[in-house]
Amino acid sequence: MPKLTINGQEIEVEPGTTIIQAAQVAGIEIPHYCYHPDLPVDGNCRMCLVEVERMPKLAISCATLATEGMVVHTNNDRVKESVRGVLEFLLVNHPVDCPVCDQAGECRLQDYYMVYGLHTSEIPLEMKVRKQKVVDLGPMVVLDQERCVLCSRCIRFFDHVTHTGEMQFFGRGDHVAIGTFENRPLDNPYSGNVVDICPVGALTSRDFRFKCRVWFLNSTDSVCGGCSTGCSMRIDHRDGTVFRLLPRRNPEVNKSWLCDEGRMSFHELAAGERVRRPMIKGRDGMQAPVVWEEAVRSVDSKLKEIRDNHGAGSILGFASPSATNEALFLFKQYMAGQVGVTRFEFRADSEDKSVTEQEDNILRRVDKHPNSMGAIKLGLVSKEFGGIEGAIESAREGKLRAGVIIYFKPLVRRPTDEEAESRVAELIRAVEYSVVLAAHKTDWLAEASVVLPVTAWSEENGSYTNYQGRVQLARRAVTPAGDMRPVWQVFALLLAVSGADISWSTAADVFESLTETEPAYRGITYDEARLPGALVADI
Amino acid sequence: MKKTPKVVNVADRAREEASVAKEILGPLVGMKLTLTRMVENMTGKVDPTIRYPEERRAYSDRYRGAHILTAREDGSPRCVACYMCATACPADCIYIEPGEHPDPLIEKYPTRFEIDMLRCVFCGFCVDACPEEAIIMSRETEICAFGRGETIWGIDRLMKRPELPEFGLGYRPNKELVDSRLAFVPKEKVQKRLAGRVTMKEDVEMIPHVTFDPLKESEKR
Repeated sequence: MPKLTINGQEIEVEPGTTIIQAAQVAGIEIPHYCYHPDLPVDGNCRMCLVEVERMPKLAISCATLATEGMVVHTNNDRVKESVRGVLEFLLVNHPVDCPVCDQAGECRLQDYYMVYGLHTSEIPLEMKVRKQKVVDLGPMVVLDQERCVLCSRCIRFFDHVTHTGEMQFFGRGDHVAIGTFENRPLDNPYSGNVVDICPVGALTSRDFRFKCRVWFLNSTDSVCGGCSTGCSMRIDHRDGTVFRLLPRRNPEVNKSWLCDEGRMSFHELAAGERVRRPMIKGRDGMQAPVVWEEAVRSVDSKLKEIRDNHGAGSILGFASPSATNEALFLFKQYMAGQVGVTRFEFRADSEDKSVTEQEDNILRRVDKHPNSMGAIKLGLVSKEFGGIEGAIESAREGKLRAGVIIYFKPLVRRPTDEEAESRVAELIRAVEYSVVLAAHKTDWLAEASVVLPVTAWSEENGSYTNYQGRVQLARRAVTPAGDMRPVWQVFALLLAVSGADISWSTAADVFESLTETEPAYRGITYDEARLPGALVADI
Repeated sequence: MKKTPKVVNVADRAREEASVAKEILGPLVGMKLTLTRMVENMTGKVDPTIRYPEERRAYSDRYRGAHILTAREDGSPRCVACYMCATACPADCIYIEPGEHPDPLIEKYPTRFEIDMLRCVFCGFCVDACPEEAIIMSRETEICAFGRGETIWGIDRLMKRPELPEFGLGYRPNKELVDSRLAFVPKEKVQKRLAGRVTMKEDVEMIPHVTFDPLKESEKR
C-alpha cells in the first residue's frame, strides 16, 4: 500500500491508484478535462499537471501512479501557472458564446477560468478558427465543434463502453474537430451519455436544448424507473416540472451511464391525463368522486364482506412491479394480514418472466419495471395460480370475485405494453369488485368499482430493489396537482380503517418496519440504501 | 491666550441706528420685492408650477423607466434568450421562452419575452446583466392599463414604443460598447438646454444639479 503526501496531507492508497484518484480520496480537486473515472486514461488535456518532488517536469496526475514516498503539490505557483497556461491555450479558439450555451453554469471551462484563468484573451473573436456549429447528431445530441476542448471523452465512450466507435477526431492543428463520419447521426441507445461526460458545451442534449438554464434547476437523487437495472440517477426539476434525468455515479450498478430510454422516461410520465380524485362506482354504474376516508372505508368493508361470504381465496392481490418496496410491503400487510388474501400476482406482461435478463450487455434489461425483484422478495407472487391469465380464467369461472390492483404504466414503452394493459382491463371486467390504484387515466379505468389516485415514480419517497437485489432510495422530486397519495399511504389508511395498529408517518418509517418484518430486507438501514445501495438477503 | 469674546448688545445697537427714514423705507423696499414677484408670477415670467400632465419634469438620461428591447439591423430583437436578466431580476418579473434561430451564429432567440410591469421594481439590474445590450430602459413612467393582463408587455410592445419620443431613452450604461439600435425611430427634436428642475413637455436636455467633470476636477489638483 503506497503512502504519499499531497499538499502536506499524508494518504495511503491501493496499489495502482493514480495521483488524481488519490487526491480525490484526500478531498483535493485537481482540474481535469479528459480524465473520467469510467473511461480509459488518455492524458491529452494537460490540465491535471501537478508537481511531484524530484521529478524534473510537471506530471499529469491522471496517468501517474501513486508510489511510496511521493510528495505531490497541486496548488503551488508553478502548477497554477501551468494550469493557467493550458487553460488559455484551450480557450484560444473557444467562441465564448456562454449566453447561448446550454452548458453554461456547469461548464468546466467556466469553473476553471474563475479559479485559475481570469486572463484577458489575446485573440480577438474575428481571428478565431471557425468550425461547424449546431451539427445535428441524432435524436439525443447536438454538436458544436467550436466549443470543444478535444478531450476525447466522447470518442473513448463510444470506443470502450458501447464499442460502436461512431466519433473521431477530424483535421489537423488548429482545425481539429470532433465529429461523426459525414455527420451521421448517433443512433446507439446510449448516445445521451456523451452529453453528460462532455466537460464543455460541445455536446449538448437535444431534448434539454434551451429548455432551462441549469442554475434554475433543483436536483433530487432518485433511481431510474425504466427497467429492472435500477440505475442511480438525479432528477433535475423546476417548479414541479421535470426537465432532465442525469446519471449519478454508482460503481455497483450503472457506473456513470444511463441509457437513452431511461433518460427520456420522464416524458412518458408527464404524458397522459392523471387520475386526480378517488372515485367509487355508484348503483347507476357511473363513477363519482368521493373523499379518501369514504373510499377507504368502503373498500375495507366490501373486501371483508366478500371474504366472509366467499372465502379469502376469492380475492386477488395484484401488485405492480413499478411500486416502491414500501408500497408493496404495506399492500402485503393489508391484503395478507387484514383480509387474509393468499393469491398474489404482480406481472401483467409475459415479457417480464426474467428480472435479470439483459437487453444488451451494458445496462438495459428486458423487464421494464424498477421493482420486480422487490415484489418477488416480498413474496407477491403465487406460482400455483397461473399468473394473470389464470386469474382472468378463474374470475370467469366465478371462483375469483374481487381484485385489488395497483397499475402503473411502464415508463419505457414496449410493443407488448398494450397487450399487458388489456389483460389488466380484462381482469377488471371479469371480477365483480375491483379496486384499482392508478396514476394515469385509461379507458378501462371507468369499469373499476373503485379508483384510487396515487403518485407515481419521482413523486414519492421510496426504495426500489433492482435485479441484483440492491435496495436503493429514490426521493420525491415533484408534487403533482390533485388529491393523490403514495400507494403506501393508501394501504396505511386501509390498515388504520381495518383496525390494525399503525405508527407510520413517513416512507422512512415504513421502510424501518419493512426491514424489521421481512426476512429478505432484515437489517438494512435507510442510510445504507443511499449509494451504492444495500443488497437484500438471498432467500 | 484665549481671546475674550466681543459682546454686542443688540437692543443698544438698534437704538443707536434707528432713524425715521429707515422706519419708513424698510417696508417699502421689502414691498418692492413682493410686488415684483407678484407681477412676475401673474404675467408668467416666473412659474414654479408643473401643469401635469401637459407639462412634465425632465428626468435624467440615466432614468430607469419602462424597458426597451433593442434590435438587430434586420429589426429582429438583439436578445439571445440567455436568461441573464431573468436571473438577475430581484422581482422575478421577466419570462423568456427561447427558440432555435435558423442562423447557427445566433442560435438562440426569444420566442416570448415578457416583463410584468406591475412586478418590476425598475432596478435596472436586467440592463446591467445583459451581455448584448438587448434590453435598455426609457424615461417612461406612466404605465396605465385597464387590466392586469395589459401590464405584461411582450416582445412587440417592448420593441416598438410609439409613445416613447415623448419621454426619451433612459438607463443605458453600455451604449459605447455595443452597437444596438431601436426597432422604431424616435422623433428627432431640437433639444432645449434647461437648467433647474422645471421644463416644458417638449424635449429638453436636462442640466444636472451637480455637475462633476472628472477632467476638470483633476486639473484643479
